[in-house]
Amino acid sequence: MTRHPRARWRRFVSFAPLLVLALAACGPDVPNSIFGAHSEHGHQVDDLTRFLLELGLGVFVFVEALLIYAVFRYRHREGGPPAQQIHGNTTLEIGWTFIPAVILAFIAIPTVRLIFQTQAEAPAGSLQVEVIGHQWWWEFRYPEFNIVTANELYLPKGRAVNFSLRTNDVLHSFWMPQLNGKRDLISNRTNHLWFTPDSIGAYNGFCAEFCGASHANMRFKVFVVSPERFAQYVAHEQTPPVYPLALDTAAKPAKVAKNAPPPPPPTIPLTQAQLNTGTWPTDSLPRWVVPATPLPAMLADTMPGDAARGAATFKTAPCIACHTIQGVSAGVIGPNLTHVGSRTTIAAGLYPNDHAHLVAWIMDAPVMKPGSQMMTLGQRMMGTGGLTDQQIADIAAYLSALK
Amino acid sequence: MATIVQPPSVARHKARMEHGIWSWLNTTDHKKIGQLYLYTSLTWFLVGGLEALFIRSQLWSPNGHLVSAETYNQLFTMHGTTMVFLVIMPFSAAFFNFLIPLQIGARDVAFPRLNAFSYWVFLLGGVFMNVSWLFKAAPDAGWFGYAPLTTKAYSPGLNIDFWVLGLQILGLSSLAAAFNFITTIINLRAPGMRFMRMPIFTWMSFVTQFLLALSFPIITVAVTFLMFDRFFGTNFYTIAAGADPLLWQHLFWLFGHPEVYILILPAFGLVSEVLPVFSRKPLFGYSVMVYSGMLIAFLGFGVWAHHMFAVGMGPVADSAFSVMTMLIGIPTGVKIFNWLGTLWGGTLRFTTAMKFGIALIALFTIGGISGVMHASPPSDLQQTDSYFIVAHFHYVLFGGSMMGLFAGMYFYYPKITGKLMSEKLGNVHFWLTFIGMNLTFFPMHFLGLTGMPRRTWTYDANQGWEFDNRMATVGAFTLAVATLLFVFNWFRSMKTGKPAGNDPWGGATLEWSIPSPPPEYNFAELPNVTSRTPMWHGDPGPGPATYPAAFTPAPVRTASELGIVLPTPTMKPLIAAMGLGVAFTGVIWHKNYILIFLGAAIFVATLYNWLLTPLEPEHH
Amino acid sequence: MATAVAHAPEHKHYTSTGLDNTKIAIWAFIGSECFFFASLISTYLIYKGHSLVGPFPHEAWTDPATGQVFKPILNIPVTSFSAFVLLMSSLSMVLAHSAVLRGDVKYSKVWLLATIVMGTMFLCMQAFEFTSFVHEGLTLQRNLFGSTFFVLTGFHGAHVAAGVLWLTTLLFIDLKRGLQPRDAINVDVCALYWHFVDVVWIAIFALVYLIK
Repeated sequence: MTRHPRARWRRFVSFAPLLVLALAACGPDVPNSIFGAHSEHGHQVDDLTRFLLELGLGVFVFVEALLIYAVFRYRHREGGPPAQQIHGNTTLEIGWTFIPAVILAFIAIPTVRLIFQTQAEAPAGSLQVEVIGHQWWWEFRYPEFNIVTANELYLPKGRAVNFSLRTNDVLHSFWMPQLNGKRDLISNRTNHLWFTPDSIGAYNGFCAEFCGASHANMRFKVFVVSPERFAQYVAHEQTPPVYPLALDTAAKPAKVAKNAPPPPPPTIPLTQAQLNTGTWPTDSLPRWVVPATPLPAMLADTMPGDAARGAATFKTAPCIACHTIQGVSAGVIGPNLTHVGSRTTIAAGLYPNDHAHLVAWIMDAPVMKPGSQMMTLGQRMMGTGGLTDQQIADIAAYLSALK
Repeated sequence: MATIVQPPSVARHKARMEHGIWSWLNTTDHKKIGQLYLYTSLTWFLVGGLEALFIRSQLWSPNGHLVSAETYNQLFTMHGTTMVFLVIMPFSAAFFNFLIPLQIGARDVAFPRLNAFSYWVFLLGGVFMNVSWLFKAAPDAGWFGYAPLTTKAYSPGLNIDFWVLGLQILGLSSLAAAFNFITTIINLRAPGMRFMRMPIFTWMSFVTQFLLALSFPIITVAVTFLMFDRFFGTNFYTIAAGADPLLWQHLFWLFGHPEVYILILPAFGLVSEVLPVFSRKPLFGYSVMVYSGMLIAFLGFGVWAHHMFAVGMGPVADSAFSVMTMLIGIPTGVKIFNWLGTLWGGTLRFTTAMKFGIALIALFTIGGISGVMHASPPSDLQQTDSYFIVAHFHYVLFGGSMMGLFAGMYFYYPKITGKLMSEKLGNVHFWLTFIGMNLTFFPMHFLGLTGMPRRTWTYDANQGWEFDNRMATVGAFTLAVATLLFVFNWFRSMKTGKPAGNDPWGGATLEWSIPSPPPEYNFAELPNVTSRTPMWHGDPGPGPATYPAAFTPAPVRTASELGIVLPTPTMKPLIAAMGLGVAFTGVIWHKNYILIFLGAAIFVATLYNWLLTPLEPEHH
Repeated sequence: MATAVAHAPEHKHYTSTGLDNTKIAIWAFIGSECFFFASLISTYLIYKGHSLVGPFPHEAWTDPATGQVFKPILNIPVTSFSAFVLLMSSLSMVLAHSAVLRGDVKYSKVWLLATIVMGTMFLCMQAFEFTSFVHEGLTLQRNLFGSTFFVLTGFHGAHVAAGVLWLTTLLFIDLKRGLQPRDAINVDVCALYWHFVDVVWIAIFALVYLIK
């Protein structure tokens, strides 16, 4: 039993260092903060959340102050007054019933108002985007542009976007904390969510409803870009991939050593217009949008590949059963890969989109992403059957070229 | 005076059955059953805590790989299921069992054998669910098991089979206990104990029993639908047949929200007993405390869809549930103020029990505030399914329920064991728990507000989440040390603690009028009750100067000396529970019909035998 | 139980209400069962009209793939009769309890037997209904209607069966040693359960069979 006054302070003090953490509520160090969400709805919700926090803080201080005061003031002292035999106080009971009710009314009214505002019909002329959840990746469609893509979402700044949300399998939830609140994807239902993004930026998206083995790995990236860049993106996505590149029949073949392997056929380089994918420039991606998931050690070593050979290999590889590349294959089980080369990440935001990661992914997707429905394809892992290391490297080179 | 004459062989057999392990297996004594619940829940607390330590260790670093994703999903599912169903509920049940008959002046509960049955079935359910670990097939779809992830199409293994069957077993245990305690509290109160003279713990427990009786059938139905889908191919959650996953969510949360009040009200009751005794004044606003408890339970059936604000129910439903949820904050807040009123003007003695009681007030307030924040759907759409929610419910479940249960354990330890726990060790346990709890769960508020989703086996670097996750992990290990200390104190004090006597604390209610531990018959004579605080006779007085209060040990007379007839101990509840165990094992073991029928036969035969045997030996 | 059927002690333990413990317990149990059946019935109503394929309860359906025609599956006249039988069994239950109360051992046997017979009749008619539905193409697995209908009525039937078992046990005891007025509480409690099961059937009959 502690009678020492210092012991009382201990309870007080153990709260104080935790208040220090309160400083870290927003800023670039916390890039997925729900505060400062970059949309009109986001700002309104922000205001409401801050109001709730302030009220909460007020109630917290009030109640804890009373508690701490009582604990100090009424502690037993030798020779002190006996306890006051009070059974209750009707006025107090009415007071502390009525006042919280009033405070709650102050919360309820803006709440209900904002509910109806945020769930009103999307404005006419909104950009329609279909989101279809899969275990464990995101399919995005822009019906008005006839675009199907995956895991990266481009939105124009200043135009309302109306999402219709469906799922191919289990429940998921569509959440971009820095843009708007979430909405669940429910089987046999279509949900809707709309908002108007108001800041150019690169944002993280997460699945926020437990959906199985790789729920934590079901991420996506959102790029809010200028309307001009968005138009560029749309135009680029609508055109078939530039690969296979046109062969430069006029070029002279390079001199080759006697026993060296044949060099790849010379191709005409892409024009600047063809290179303008409209996508976010990779050299200016913010740190938090670039995944840092480590590569499994056994998949770390990769060899360079040849895109032309990869294009040929792809046509007969197992890939075509599940993936669509416009003009090449029509599989719908996995993500659309038509312009996969211009995405910043692969595996639903899990790994950076580069040769090494592509090779590792094709080699052994289930090791890269637990539970992945894409099977192991590397001959190294499978023993017999499967694709050789060179074949995989070539396919990866091909995919990287699909800008 | 009854005389029961027996032949010597029967007397020898009886002596053997009345001591040692047999007396625990064939007991129908509520005090023994309460202890069985207590030690079993304590074990599950350590198991659930170990699961938490694995979780927190995995989350120490971004992209951690201490455990695989599949194992992590089993860990967080079992952590939640264990803590809710195998720890907090049975800890509360330990107190229902031990305390309610003592508080109302009864010899036992209304149906002592059914009481034992409830315990054995609970033990069966916990073991059944945890056996899954041995098959590397622990349930892995969350404690809330949303369809269609839990349907066979997406969870083909045994994991969810263990989950649904285990839950059905546990549900049976809780339902049987609820009927038992409802009857006990209504019908076995001592003469003069009107409802509004009952101790507040009994009141909160009474309300809890109704919540149990009415909410568990709903989850029974939800889980039965899932069972039938998985075993018989029905379509309740089959997407291809046009099923609606929200059916599961509505049914689950119609149970799930009353369930959280089941988890907190007994702890509220315990704290309401502790605070007055160590303030030396009565509970402030007893009637209001009773009515607010009833109101919370009633309203608790009307707020369930606040767990579903993100599913798109539409603005009208969202608004209705939002307002209802805010409303339920009012009676809850009223309780906080009444506890403050209890402390106010008292002379406070800071025993370990009192410290935990005060900590509940402090920490539940925080949990309640974040709860009110969740009640606003537009704001909640940024909070739900993030660590902000994890912070909230750990504040109300650990900072609320566990703190209250610890207060009860320190307070009633002397009554249960006849000894006092070490207050020195209790002090260390308290501070380590208080600091550890805040260190673990307060940073989670920030993780949630900075966008970290929940139920994730790993998180990426460069998101600003490392620091708070590390604090939480350090806090978790602090809690582990604190808990081990508590367990050590519990068992060591049984050997070396100071003898407690009838009333070490200067308590107010009937349980403090009898020896510690109480004799098997509880009260030599059923008391006649004339006030809410029968031991205080209108004025609590300053209480004992030191703990324990001075006492002169008096010889305790046996039941037969007093002419009191006690229920005959019997193994039938245990055997009936074992029959159920055999049957359920048959279900999960490749649908082994032999085992199923054998188990059912054992259960039914034992039940018949039990129902046709009188509770007590013949007497006049 | 405070009082047992086989050997009831002559004195009664003190109770706060003067009621038997079993009576209070059965009401708590019935309250719980209300929520059980309410959940089953609500599920049926929520899924009503949502099945993707037939057969349907009140309307015919042609399978577009095979051209097979499914009649509306429910048979109101037959089920009305079985409902009536169950209702009458509640009457005989009341009479059985009344006979035990006044110590009329002969009529207690008669009315208990009548209740058992009518309960069993109901169960047989349910079994007949189920098997004919299966023959007509409605199974547990067929569609939402099949799942919700069979599970709802199946659980109700299981409750009736448990009641018949209980009544048979009471009849056995009545035949063996005769049920005395002191046993009336056990018959009373069984009767409460039986009436509850009957009331649930009225609700199911109305919501499933009668209301389109």
